[in-house]
Amino acid sequence: MIADWSQEVVLAATILSWFIIGAGLAQTTIYLLQLVVAGYALSQRPPVARSALLWQRYGDVAPPIALLVPAYNEALNVVESVHSMLALEYPNFEVVVINDGSKDDTLQRLIDAFKLVKFHRPYEEALAHQPIRGVYSSPMTERLFVVDKENGGKADAQNAGINVCRAPLFCVIDGDSILEPDALMRAAQPFIDDPERTIAVGGTIRIANGSRIEAGRVREIRLPSRLLPLFQVVEYLRAFLMARLAWSSINTLMLVSGAFGMFRRAEVVAVGGFTKGSMGEDLDLVIKLHRYMRDRKRKYRIQFIPEPVCWTEAPETLSVLARQRSRWQRGALECFFRYRSMLFNPRYGRVGFLGFGHILVVDVLGPVAEVLGYVLMPAFWLLGILSAEYLLAFTALIFIYGVCVSVSSLILEEAELQRFPRARNLAVLTAAAVIENFGYRQLNNFWRVKGCWQFLRGNQGWGEMTRTGLGGAKK
Amino acid sequence: MWYIWDLSILLSALCLVIMLLLIARRVLQERRGRATADQRRQILTALIAFSENRDREALKAAVLGVPAGVAIDAGFEFISLLRGEERDDVLVAFNECGLPARVARQLRKGNVAERIHAAEMLAALGSDDASASLLSALSQDRAREVRIAAAIALCDLGSLPLLGTALDFIGAAGQRSRRLIELFRRFPRSRFNELAVHASRVDASPFVRAATIDALARAGGFGFADFFAGLTGDAAPEVVAAALRALGLTGHAEAPAILKRAMANDDWDVRAAAAESAGRLGLPELTAPLSALMDDEIWTVRYAAANALRSFGLSGERLLREIASAEVSRSQRTASLILAEGPAL
Repeated sequence: MIADWSQEVVLAATILSWFIIGAGLAQTTIYLLQLVVAGYALSQRPPVARSALLWQRYGDVAPPIALLVPAYNEALNVVESVHSMLALEYPNFEVVVINDGSKDDTLQRLIDAFKLVKFHRPYEEALAHQPIRGVYSSPMTERLFVVDKENGGKADAQNAGINVCRAPLFCVIDGDSILEPDALMRAAQPFIDDPERTIAVGGTIRIANGSRIEAGRVREIRLPSRLLPLFQVVEYLRAFLMARLAWSSINTLMLVSGAFGMFRRAEVVAVGGFTKGSMGEDLDLVIKLHRYMRDRKRKYRIQFIPEPVCWTEAPETLSVLARQRSRWQRGALECFFRYRSMLFNPRYGRVGFLGFGHILVVDVLGPVAEVLGYVLMPAFWLLGILSAEYLLAFTALIFIYGVCVSVSSLILEEAELQRFPRARNLAVLTAAAVIENFGYRQLNNFWRVKGCWQFLRGNQGWGEMTRTGLGGAKK
Repeated sequence: MWYIWDLSILLSALCLVIMLLLIARRVLQERRGRATADQRRQILTALIAFSENRDREALKAAVLGVPAGVAIDAGFEFISLLRGEERDDVLVAFNECGLPARVARQLRKGNVAERIHAAEMLAALGSDDASASLLSALSQDRAREVRIAAAIALCDLGSLPLLGTALDFIGAAGQRSRRLIELFRRFPRSRFNELAVHASRVDASPFVRAATIDALARAGGFGFADFFAGLTGDAAPEVVAAALRALGLTGHAEAPAILKRAMANDDWDVRAAAAESAGRLGLPELTAPLSALMDDEIWTVRYAAANALRSFGLSGERLLREIASAEVSRSQRTASLILAEGPAL
């Protein structure tokens, strides 16, 4: 009887181990394939032209762009951010700041800094959003408009901005982020080269912690001195340079970051804009765009290009980072289940198979399988249920391939882009790419599983994002 | 299972070795970068000195004393700041140093970004052989961006082949690019009829046809008004909208009838373009159809119609006020919004 029982336990443990290792293998295979595709895509991309040349080349034909900046309790950074946005190098753009019912003095600081006055601006009420209390313009610059509205969340604020703006293209950016001066010009390039098919373009988000920032510009690129943001530098490189570039090159990009993305207004309005209350409103929008264009059998491109850069502040404490990661996980799950009918649906082609398949493996199953593995695999081995082979295979998938993937992203960055100014930066990042696999990765997966749990319980809170302020932190 | 472990160790070790090599390469690049910056400073100093003393031999010595790539880059930036005789003198010195030949080589052998830049530099340097190199790039280069850049450069040098031929070289994919707008805007007046011929070709891409119409309207003036009027009956809405906008710039005796007809078109872009042109030309006889467009289902059309009415002056404003004070409707709301536009009182 006991022998039968123990046989069943061994069988169950073996099946579970195979599931865990299978999920790890699937993830690792996806990452390695992404690396190969991204490497190929990057090698085919023309090297970056200088900003001055871009202006000379595209200045006359660059389409108008509205820069939408939702701001909620951003009093600390907002004036400096708007100054830096107004100083962007682009021939035809307007900045629309949307004060989403901030509880602090975000609006007042803007009014004071730019001498804002109330202004009537007719606009199309194409998308629903919370009521607008007033639109302001500045006598100091005709490029700036501030929309003051009742609080409704980031997606709601962005929808209000889309309604108010008049340009055929809009670019969403977080209020606490800093765009490189030529970022708009670079991001607009696909809309110039292929204006009929391009409907969305994403650029690179980089972490500004540690860099020297003056007057809303990143003057000197430095690495963060603290470990947590340093690990995030590697993480962002992996996410943008490897994953997004790879998916973009096969037109299956599922995410254009809400911190910096450019969209064609007509298509966004047609899909109903950003989904209000969504945890992953950026992922949600891109999925809707894919669905809309494929349903209508229209040719389109959603592209990622690595050159335009937006700098953002990364969380420096574990508690803030944990909240951010749980929220991202909830956003991914929410979108996956909301649009689950697209999964493996032949109507949606590679978006349904590859894009959604990727979300299933990496975001839905991946974290759960990995965290289960942390606990069960050593336990099974200690109890003598599993052989050392299994444990080593799991260890290899979690730690060693992790090192390989992280370092490979750095290799891509250095071989093709070289955006870190000094050789010493590369050495530090290489060390971080190795170390992050021993502790940080596990912590991240724990937060993601927590996010899964919150999703199942229907927790929809965003949590507070404590910010020190990009400019202020560096003084 | 062991192979998973073995392969992971092997791959990770390989990545680390490659990364270490890249770090070593970067150290060397940093040293080279400092030397390049010094050379660039030297060449710019020599160019500034030349604009004072016109000592061509000294300039040539400085140009030949640094690697050609550095001289080309710094020189191109500098000559874009110069005009007239001074620019011509610098170009002669560059030609005598063989820089255009180096740029032509870059046009053949560089990566895509370098080849595009080389096409632009060749147009600026204007050497004898530039046209031949650019023609070869236009007809043979693999990248459409380079072919478009070569076409623009050739246009600047006055050596662009017939427009149809150039567009064939650029290829169908390249004919979606907004860069073509720039090419058409640079067309010399003597070749405007080529643009007109292309704009009339029903087999050509509507985007390209619309771009040619736009270029003609900006530079061609009233001479093409009849031509634009004829195109307002085209089958492609993009072409009709461009022709209507062009008519808005040039004007035409038949414009009121044409615009009125276009305001009833099925395509909203055409209706918006008609309203916009009516406002630009100031045609109060179109007040009735414009008032009807204020109830259009598309906001852009309503907005263009209301703006057109407003541009008619007092009579238009009066009509807008009447509509705004009428019963609640789409027209009424549009009129109120347009009348309220501007600083709040």
